[in-house]
This record gives sequence, C-alpha cells and structure tokens, in this order.
Amino acid sequence: MYTDRLLIIFILGTYLLSPAIIDWWSEGGRAWYRPYLIWLGLIALSYWIAKSKDVDGL
Amino acid sequence: MSMVYSVSELIAIAGGYLLFLFFVAWITERGWLPAHWVRHPAVYVFSLGVYASAWAVYGSVGYAYQYGYNFLSYFLGISGVFLLAPILLAPILRLTATYQLSSLADLFAFRYRSRMAGAMTTIIMLIGVLPLLALQLKAVAESIQILSGTDDPRSLAAGFCMMMVIFAILFGARHATAREKHEGLVVAIATESLIKLVAFGAVALLGLYGVFDGPESLGQWLDDHPEMLSRLYYPLQDGTWHSMIMAFFVSAVVLPHMFYMAFTENLNPRALITASWALPLMFLVMALCVPVILWAAAASNAPTSPDYYALGIGLVTGGHGAVLGYLAGLAGASGMLIVATLALSGMCLNHLVLPASPLHQGQNLYRNLLWTRRILIAAILALAYLFYRFTGAGHTLVELGVLSFVATLQFVPGLIGALFWPSGNRNGLFAGLTVGFLCWLLLLLLPITYPSWQLPQLMELLGMRFHTGPDQWHHVAIASVSANALVFAIVSIVTPMSRAEKNAAEACAVDSLRRPYRWELEAKSVDDFIDALSQPLGPITATREVEMALRDLRLPRTETRPYALRRLRDQLETNLSGLLGPSVSHQLMDDHLPYLPEEEQSSSEDIQFIESRLEQYRDRLSGLAAELDGLRRFHRQTLLELPMGVISLGADDEIIGWNQAMEALTNISAADTIGSRLSDLVDPWGEFFTRFSRDDNPHQPQLSLEVQGQTRWLSLHKSSVMGIGTAEQAGGQVLVIEDITELRHMEAHLAHNERLASIGRLAAGVAHEIGNPVTAIACLAQNLDSESDAEEQLETSQQILEQTRRITRIVESLVTFSHSGGIKQSAHHVPVNVRDTVDEAISLLLLDPDHRLQQFENHCASDGWAHGDPQRLLQVFINLLGNAADACTAEQAIRIYCEETEAYLEVRVEDQGHGIPEGMHDTLFEPFATSKAPGRGTGLGLALVYSIIEEHFGSISVESPICDAGGTRFIIRLPIHAASL
Repeated sequence: MYTDRLLIIFILGTYLLSPAIIDWWSEGGRAWYRPYLIWLGLIALSYWIAKSKDVDGL
Repeated sequence: MSMVYSVSELIAIAGGYLLFLFFVAWITERGWLPAHWVRHPAVYVFSLGVYASAWAVYGSVGYAYQYGYNFLSYFLGISGVFLLAPILLAPILRLTATYQLSSLADLFAFRYRSRMAGAMTTIIMLIGVLPLLALQLKAVAESIQILSGTDDPRSLAAGFCMMMVIFAILFGARHATAREKHEGLVVAIATESLIKLVAFGAVALLGLYGVFDGPESLGQWLDDHPEMLSRLYYPLQDGTWHSMIMAFFVSAVVLPHMFYMAFTENLNPRALITASWALPLMFLVMALCVPVILWAAAASNAPTSPDYYALGIGLVTGGHGAVLGYLAGLAGASGMLIVATLALSGMCLNHLVLPASPLHQGQNLYRNLLWTRRILIAAILALAYLFYRFTGAGHTLVELGVLSFVATLQFVPGLIGALFWPSGNRNGLFAGLTVGFLCWLLLLLLPITYPSWQLPQLMELLGMRFHTGPDQWHHVAIASVSANALVFAIVSIVTPMSRAEKNAAEACAVDSLRRPYRWELEAKSVDDFIDALSQPLGPITATREVEMALRDLRLPRTETRPYALRRLRDQLETNLSGLLGPSVSHQLMDDHLPYLPEEEQSSSEDIQFIESRLEQYRDRLSGLAAELDGLRRFHRQTLLELPMGVISLGADDEIIGWNQAMEALTNISAADTIGSRLSDLVDPWGEFFTRFSRDDNPHQPQLSLEVQGQTRWLSLHKSSVMGIGTAEQAGGQVLVIEDITELRHMEAHLAHNERLASIGRLAAGVAHEIGNPVTAIACLAQNLDSESDAEEQLETSQQILEQTRRITRIVESLVTFSHSGGIKQSAHHVPVNVRDTVDEAISLLLLDPDHRLQQFENHCASDGWAHGDPQRLLQVFINLLGNAADACTAEQAIRIYCEETEAYLEVRVEDQGHGIPEGMHDTLFEPFATSKAPGRGTGLGLALVYSIIEEHFGSISVESPICDAGGTRFIIRLPIHAASL
C-alpha cells in the first residue's frame, strides 16, 4: 500500500546483481575505490528519490 | 621523532573540548541560535553521526588491517539502513512520535503489551552494549597512553569515565522526562560529529600528503606492495562479506544511541528523508579515509598497533597531527558514551526501576525521576568501567565492538515482528530473545572473555564442530539470530495472543490501521480523571498531567463526551508513557481509569476515530486504497452536504455523524456533538430526538417543536443500520430530519390568498347581479320622488335612495376589492411622499361629517419616500385612518409616524380607541371581518389594505391593545424609493 515499489525493486535488483558487483569489485586491483563508486551511485539514487518523493507522508 | 604530550595537556584538551560542546548545547537551549538552524536537516544528519564512535576512528582501521574490506560493512550497514529510511525508519519514527516511545524497550513493551518485554530488552541491551561502552573508555585511555607514554591506562579510563558522568547529566538529565526534546544535546552531538569528520579527514590528508606525495604516490606504493591490496580483497572471496554486511545493516538501528538520536530526539520528521542520502554520504567520506590511513601508517611504520594508526600517522609526521587523531577519537567516544548512557538510563528507569518500586506521591514525582535518572547514568558508566577494568583491557577494539554488535542483533527479529508481522507475540519474543542471548553468551562472550571456556568441547561431545571466537564471529552472529528468529516465529504461531496485544500489534503494523473499540469509561468527567489519578500521582501532578493532555487535544475542562474522554485517556497514557515508560503508564491507566466491564456495555468500533486516523494516513495511500479513500470521501461529503439533517447513531446512542444541515438547523456544531450521547444534547433537541429514536414509528411527517420561542415544524424519518460485517458494528440508527417550517408558512399564505381570491370572484359576481336591480330601484325611487309631493312619501323615497346609495357603495367596494384581489394590476409605481399622502387622506376624511372634529396628528417626516401607486396608497391610509376614527372619540388623537429602516419605510398608525377584540386578530385582514356595528362597515376595508400592501411588496401587522385603555397600532412596511436611499 504505502511501501515504495521503487525501493523494493531496487533491493531485489541489488540482491540479484550482487555476485556480478562483487566480481567487478574484486577484480579492481589498484582501483581499490570501486566499492565507493557503487556506494556513491546509491547515494545519488537515494537523493533523487528523496527529491522526487512527496514527503508530506512523514 | 614522535611528539610526546603530557597527561595533563591531553586531559585539558578533553576537558576543553567537552566544555566547548557544553557551551554549544547551552547557547542552543538559551535560544541564542536561530530556530531554523537548530531544526535544519543538516543538524539531524550530523547528530546521527554519533554512530561513528571511537570504533570508527580507531577500531575500523585495525579491522581493515585484520579483515580487509570487511571494515566497510560497519559503514555500509548503517548507510543501507538509511538508504531504506522511507521503508524501515519512517514507520518507527511515526510510532515513537505518536506514542511517545523513547527507546527500543519502550517500543517492545508497547507493541507486545508486556512489562517483561521491556525489562528483558533493557537487561539484554545493557549487557550487550557494555562492551561497546568499555571500548570507548579503552580507546580514549589508550590513546592518552600512546601520546603521553604513561603506563596506567586504567586510572585514565576511570578519570574519563567520571568526566562522562558529569557531562551526560549536564547534557541530558536536567529535565525529568523524555517528552521534552533536548535541542542542546542534538546540536552539541551534531557539532561533535562535524569535529570528528573534519579531524578524521585531516588525519587521512596528513597521511596522503605527509607520508605519500598525493594519490599518485599512494598508487605507486600500492604497486610496490601488492600484498596490502590482496589483504584488502581477501574477504570478498571467502563469503563472510554477505553475513557481515547483513549483521551491521540490521544492528545499526537498534543500538540505543542510534535509536535515541534518530527517533527520540528527532526535531523535524522530514529530516529523516534528507538523512536517507546525507548520512550515507557522510559515512562514505569517513570510510574513504580508513584505507588511506591504514596504508599511510603501514608505509611509515607507525609506532602503534593498527587500532591506533590514526594517532600513529600524526606521531610519524610530527607537528600536532597526532592531536587531530586524538580529537577525532575523543569526539567519537564522548558522543557515543553520552548518548548511549542517556538512552540506557531512560530504559532502566522505565523498565526496571519504576515497575519494581511504587510511585512516589506528590509534587516530588518529577524530582524523584530526575535524581533516579542521574544515579542510573553514573551506575551504567561505572558498569562500563568495571567491564573494561576486568575483561576489556586485554582485548582489541575489534573484539569488544563485535561483542556488542552481535548482542544487539538479537533484537532484530522482535523489531521486524513489531513492524511487519502482526501475529508475532510476546511469548515468541521472550523465547527468541532468550535463545539468541544464550547463543551470544555461550558462543561469543564467554569464549572471548574467558578463553578457557570449555563449551566447544561440550559441543564436540554432542557431535557438533563449531569454532568460536572473534575470527568466527560472523558464524555466531548468523547462527544466533537465525535461531532467535526461528524460535520467535514458531512460538508466536503456536501460542495465543491477548486482545490488548492484538490491538497494539495493529497500531504498530506498517500496513494496517488501528481499529479501536468504543469502550465506555468509568470516569464520566475531567474531574473524575483528576480524582482517579490523584491516588498514584498526587493531586498536583495529576491535575498538571490532565490539563496538559487537555491542552494537547484542545478540549475544554468541562468535557463530558464519551468520545472525548476516551481520547483524553489515550493522550494521558501517551504523555505518561513519555514520563514513566509505556508499561508503567499502561498499568496505571488500567488500574485507575478502567473501562466498564465488557458485559455492562455494548462496544462497537470507534468509527469517528478511524475516520480521523484515515485523514492522517491519506498521503500514504496509493493505488486501490487511494481510490477507495477517494470514494469514501465522496460519500462522506455527500452525506455532509445533504440539504437534509442527518444524524448517525451508534448502538449505544452515541452520535457518530452530524451533517451541515443539522448544524444549521440546531446551531450546534458537529465538533461539539460527535461522540456525545443523543440524550446529552441541549434541550429541546436532546429530548425530542431521543423520543423519536426510541419510537416504534419510523416516520413522523409533521412534528412541531418550540425553539427559542418560535415554532419549528420538522419531518422525521429513521432507519436502523445493520452490521456491515463485524458483529460489533450492528445496531446503529440513522435519523433524517427535514425542516418544513418554511413550507408550512408558505402553505398558510397560499391558503389565505386562495380564500381572498375566491371571495373576490364571488364578490364580482354578486356585485354584478345586485348592481342592476339596485340601479332599477334607485330609478324608481327617483321617479317616486319627482312624481309625488306628499311629505311622507318624499321622506320614504329619500330613504330608499339613501339605502340604494349605500348598496352601491358596498357593491363598488366589492368590485374594487375583487379587481385588486384577482388580477394583479400592472403597477406603475412612482415615488410617493408618505407625509403628503397621509395629509391628503386626513383632509379627505375631515370632509366626512362624522369625522369633522376628529384630531389627526401627522408626525411623518417630509423626506419619507415610498415606492408605489399614490392613488392606492391614499386608499390604504383613508381606510386605516377611517377605521381609527370610527374607533375613537373626537378627543382621542390619531397619530401617524414614519420611520426609515434599512430597506423599508415603516409607517405606524396609532389610535387610543377601544382596540380590536381578542378573537379577531387572526381574521382581521380577511373580507367581511369587522367589529363595527351592523351597517357601519362592509368588512372589506382592511382586506383591501392588505391586498394593496401585498401588491407593493410590503407587509402589514397589527398590535392591539397598545395601552391599558386599548388602542391599536397598524404597522406598514413599504419599500423605500431607491433614489432616497
């Protein structure tokens, strides 16, 4: 009902993609900052959701 | 070339830093900082940085050294929780704000309706968090030890611990209740986080540019030392990564200091949305510093253990760099200690101390609470010190941190149950927590603190192989929390749940709406509430609390509506929950403000309350639910705006609906009515509606009711509302009330006009039929007159002529009346000066020998202009003045007054005559109604006046008697001529 469908899709997607992400990450070598890039991507997504979301519900 | 500081310098830095924080808190509470700064989302986000304790500054570097990328899980876990804040945290925030729940123990005690749940949560939380508190003491003490070179960190820890007791009390225990938000504390903790972030970042930059020559040089060094990178990457292969991030993800929220900062001290609910991206960003920056510090320290052979590399870099590079690391660690440790101790002291007070000891009466309640809280703060910090002193000193920061994180993990099944699984019950919670806690105790705490612990041998005897200890902690974490969740689920399913618990479960569940029942209270008024609460709280506190709850609900002290009293009870329970904790508060309400026993009342669902809750939930509805809500609103609005009065009643005659037409009819607003009994309405409505609602007849087409001296005619209908599903809803009624007063007036008016019209038609016919023979008689009489000279005959013929003239006059009046009463003349209305018209009427009347001596006094002002037909208005005044003159002797003056009101010209004709007989008032304006002697009047004069005034869109009324001797006053209202307005 109120649960944000977008976020559920996002969680499921992350879970399904996690092996691929871990592989990409562990092949980083000198690019040790790769997990931070993923992390930054998530923050940007969250920022976008927070901006577009009607926060009156809170 | 390490720079060595003296102990006193380092303690002075700590003292100065804490005093600065206190100063920040103090100016905030004084209101010297603008409110929009204090409530800015950034302050909330930074205050949540309290999560990054000394573990983040020192422990995570050591963790990265030992377990590679796994260190990220500490930061990623909390970031994940906040990225999902709208789903995971918003419901908790809503619950804690609505029910004044200040800790996880409060939430559990409220949700599982059990004191035991609160007490158990408190005890496990206290034991579980002790290692984390000890970690902070250890970190600060050892960092002073490293920087100063002393060898007794234990007494340093004792000193720091005492400092923390004082500051924790100063920051958070100056007010008795958790109801007031500690704005000062929030701003101080936010400042603390900012200092920590800047100092930690500065240490990393020092490493990057002081040890290396920038990112390129770091990359070069990594190429030369590939073992450092492979050490970082190895946990990704062995699968511990998933369980680690899961463990930190879920434990982040239940940690007492995080729960306290995120929910209890939340000043601005919308800030949670900002925190959903800003807090992960802040931890990203901190996490980015960790590997840089690790590598810089490793590259420069820092003279410390990996836990304290943040200090080591400063020692290697010289200058005051080490103080930056010390300050970051100090900020992390002190912030976490203060907030966690405050949170834990609140939990202990509400769930251990208060339920165990009877409440102290009287006005000292608030003071007693305050002092108990302060003693608890000191006791908790003393326990943390003892833990550090006897077991913590010999362990690494990582070991201590891990102990706490796995312990708090045990609350997660209960929390998820509280939010998302309404069937989870207290038995399940107890069983699950016990199993999880025992796993933690036996498989983690004892093996770590007493390495000689023999459990693994015991397990081998049972045929199980299990390696425990810090290396294997993620196995213990997953095993204990899985066992916990499994037991929680199984026990919840197989054991029954109480009704109160079900209610609370519905209140907490994310997707459902609480459906309260309309139980009746024993207390019937606000004073009953105060009396009932005076026993446990003392009269002063009881009065204060009740008045505060009334203020919160904006209810008057005189309130007696059952609906409002139920809300008052709920509000009191919520407010007292903020003061005493939910379990004590709930018990207090049940003991002193009980509901009537179930058999004595007919309970049904509180529709009014559900509606008000639905209004609050509106923004959260989507899809089908939103469509249904839209439909509900439409139907509700239809009912509200129905032009007929509608009252809906519950089975116990409680009013649950009162629409706008009812408000207009009775002048009683819905807000004053809803929730009260039908019979409690002010008279005459209360008795009138109650009689009808109990009557067997479902329709009463015409009932008269005297309201404020006026008669109202009402048409009443009712029907019973059958249950729409659950049995509790059955037995209501809906009353429909139609106000037919206007209709009745119109009917009377129409009947009168119809009567006049029929008489007019009759009169016209009669006049025509009589006119011809009378003319003939008059001609014959004239002939007789001219043909005879006999005296007697002449007199007879004169009398015949006189009588025929009279008949002619009557017939002419009848014809005039019938024309005016029948076909409306096309009016050619012009301005008419009332004074002149009255004068003309007087002069005409004075020509009549009967009225020659009559006194007339025209008091009309010369500027009174009416809008009408001058000839017909002259007729009106001649008739009225003639009638007056007939009723008076010559000495009794007839006075005419004229007065302008807003839209009308009011003309009053007063005489001092004998007045109008009592019985004639109703028929005065009907044709042939006269009080004059037979032969003196036709009875058509006033009827004519009435119809002329009606044609002019005016009105006429009469008052008689107007004085002791009698007298009559005719009041005519005529439209004012527009130009004179």
